[in-house]
Amino acid sequence: MLFSSIPFLYYFLPVFLLLYYIVPKKIKNPVLLLASLVFYGWGEPSFVFLMVLSILSGYLFGLGIEKFRGKKGSKVCMILALVVSFGLLAYFKYANFFISNFSIATGIAVPLLKVVLPIGISFYTFQMVSYILDVYWDKVPAQKNFITLATYIVMFPQLIAGPIVRYTDVEAQLKERSITFDKIAYGIRRFALGMGKKILIANVLGEFAAAFHATDEKSVLFYWGYAIAVSLQIYFDFSGYSDMAIGLGSMLGFTFVENFNYPYISASATEFWRRWHMSLGSWFRDYVYIPLGGSRCSKVRHYFNIFVVWMFTGFWHGAEWTFIVWGLYFGILLVLEKTFLLKWFEKYKIIGHVYLLFFVIISFVIFDANGLGAAGTHLASMFGFGGIPLSTGVTLYYLKSYLVMFLIAIIGATPLPKLLVEKAMAKPAFSKAIQIAAPVIMVLLILVSTAYLVDGSFNPFLYFRF
Amino acid sequence: MEAKINKISVCMIAVLFAVFTIWVWVKPDTEFSSTERRTLKKFPECSIASIADGKFMEQFEAYTTDQFPFRDAFRSLKAAMHFYLFGQSDNNDVYVIDGHIGKIDYPYSEKAVKASAKKFNSIYEKYISGTDASVYYAIVPDKHYFLGEKNGYPAYDYKEMYETLATELSDMEYIEIADMLSVEDYYRTDTHWKQESITDVAKRLAESMGVTLQEEYTEVTHDGPFYGVYYGQLGLPVEPDTITYLVNPMFEDCVVTNHETGKTMSVYDLAKAEGRDPYELFLSGSISAITIENPNATTDKELVMFRDSFGSSLAPLLVEAYAKITILDARYMNEIMIGKFVTFENQDVLFIHSTGVLNNETAFQ
Repeated sequence: MLFSSIPFLYYFLPVFLLLYYIVPKKIKNPVLLLASLVFYGWGEPSFVFLMVLSILSGYLFGLGIEKFRGKKGSKVCMILALVVSFGLLAYFKYANFFISNFSIATGIAVPLLKVVLPIGISFYTFQMVSYILDVYWDKVPAQKNFITLATYIVMFPQLIAGPIVRYTDVEAQLKERSITFDKIAYGIRRFALGMGKKILIANVLGEFAAAFHATDEKSVLFYWGYAIAVSLQIYFDFSGYSDMAIGLGSMLGFTFVENFNYPYISASATEFWRRWHMSLGSWFRDYVYIPLGGSRCSKVRHYFNIFVVWMFTGFWHGAEWTFIVWGLYFGILLVLEKTFLLKWFEKYKIIGHVYLLFFVIISFVIFDANGLGAAGTHLASMFGFGGIPLSTGVTLYYLKSYLVMFLIAIIGATPLPKLLVEKAMAKPAFSKAIQIAAPVIMVLLILVSTAYLVDGSFNPFLYFRF
Repeated sequence: MEAKINKISVCMIAVLFAVFTIWVWVKPDTEFSSTERRTLKKFPECSIASIADGKFMEQFEAYTTDQFPFRDAFRSLKAAMHFYLFGQSDNNDVYVIDGHIGKIDYPYSEKAVKASAKKFNSIYEKYISGTDASVYYAIVPDKHYFLGEKNGYPAYDYKEMYETLATELSDMEYIEIADMLSVEDYYRTDTHWKQESITDVAKRLAESMGVTLQEEYTEVTHDGPFYGVYYGQLGLPVEPDTITYLVNPMFEDCVVTNHETGKTMSVYDLAKAEGRDPYELFLSGSISAITIENPNATTDKELVMFRDSFGSSLAPLLVEAYAKITILDARYMNEIMIGKFVTFENQDVLFIHSTGVLNNETAFQ
């Protein structure tokens, strides 16, 4: 079930919230767990059992790690837990990638497996792995209550698209959390804002990209328009979904980690990744990069660690070469920045911004492409090597038609609107007006988003495939 | 103050969701959307099998979207946002120029045009080749042909379509009609042309096929507004059309047979003018096989017309010159059935279709 859908908004969520708010505290987790299983089962009924199996394995091996702490058995339990979690991920997400590449490399035709990618498997696998490793490293005690652990993994607000919430961050909240009007109001605001970002901006930019793909009358300008549209679409799609998840969490009394912090205002790729999908970046830092030795090792080993992390970051996004190349591309940028570029960007920040935007836009062309060949064609065409005109009537039509949306998206991707509101709030007269207008704006935002859903507009969700 | 506002916010949202949630649960289903001209989705079949394979969920989502309270008002809100706030030039490919609603007919699909030609050629080879029938084809330009490119909307090169058809339909004689039409000859809120504006088109077609028309008609305008198919798609208020039809006493003696039901009917079905699609008053809408027999025709010739909905308002204007017109819609009938209706001896054959149908990949599959 998508958050941005009528069944979720007007069938599932209100009924669930009513039930969740009226039941006693000790039953809130079972209610949340049950609702989350319904939510997950709505899209993937057959994979509910797979997820329960994954949780059961994490639960038992977590207890095993604690039971055998200080002994060899602890490590064995940790390894077995990782084998189960990563094994399921490898089988469902990556097996066919390896099979098809093996067939291409050897010429031996191996039939592909008939498997479908379970929604959210990349997210819940990483959450389970973080739990297992944190228990193994004794950062947190193993959860004795199966329902509590299952609630942590399955919790529907963050189940299918993150943020990747660490068990250590919500352990206390799983036991005791307060639900207040302020938290609910904040959650609603955040959810409405995220829904607006997703439905009113990301989806509309997605229509621009779809129009680009549909026409044969492409031009250099259209390729650039598409590249910028896709870069903005991915940001608003994913950060909108994260906002909705954080908002829902707040409505339920949880505080989830932030996932985006205006990544497009960065002045380097290093900074960009501190602002983009932050929960994934910190996961790879804590569970891959640092265990590999991080930067406290030889230069060669350090660079090796960086490339390993970025190759896996790319591969996490999908079992395609485009994602691996996309990850390594950022690995190269980060190494270049560490070597000399960062010092230079500190002096000339504006060049850093231009550099970052240019390379991020290029990266999302690779990210969005249907194969490396298509990525190559797109990039060549962007730089005038596609044998296409600079512009066409069709290009100008779509650019003109989507101009306002591009401007809204570009401004909305910066902290400018937030700063303006904060500045206005500092003045008592404006502050009162904004506070009074805020609930009305929120209601309007929900109604307008609903209108777009009712009209049956373009409503994909990009991060579902991860 | 902030705490108070927060409480008000929560209450407002709670009321909003409570109202709509109760509404969606208790609201009786609407069967048909008159603005969108389509049957709305019904509650899907719920079984273990349909839940297990995800079909129920998929259909339920479409159902909830279709049956949402104030669906038309929400669609209008979206259209207004799209045009006026976000400054977009079209909404779901539908646009308005000087009160005329058009729909972007783009991109060009050579595959679709060739598939259409293949269908016509297949009928020609199977039934017409070797007979003495004279075979013609004409293309009705979509309204977008007149509105689109001129106003900066994406439009394909119609010349390319015409050239492809000329190559593919080399056994048929082409009758040009686009030069006689302008956007004013179409309803402002609908895709179709106005019958009262195409008498010159009918005349040229008739003359090209070797017959003449006197065209003595009385214009009758049906009472009440005509909201065309684009009106509902646009979702914004636009002044409606009125629907006018041309009558001649000769029509009273014509025998019009609906071969889907075997029953006779009249040239103009006035009850349909009050129905879901008032344009269906012309020969009762989309019927795959109709014959009009005219005992008072000026010739004893027969015409076989392969057509789409544009042909419904055109056919009555040709009745004068033909003792019998067989009107077939090849999209909705099995090719084998064609032989049941026509002999192609001493008959003129006219294939007349709009660019929208010719450029549609599913039309003649």
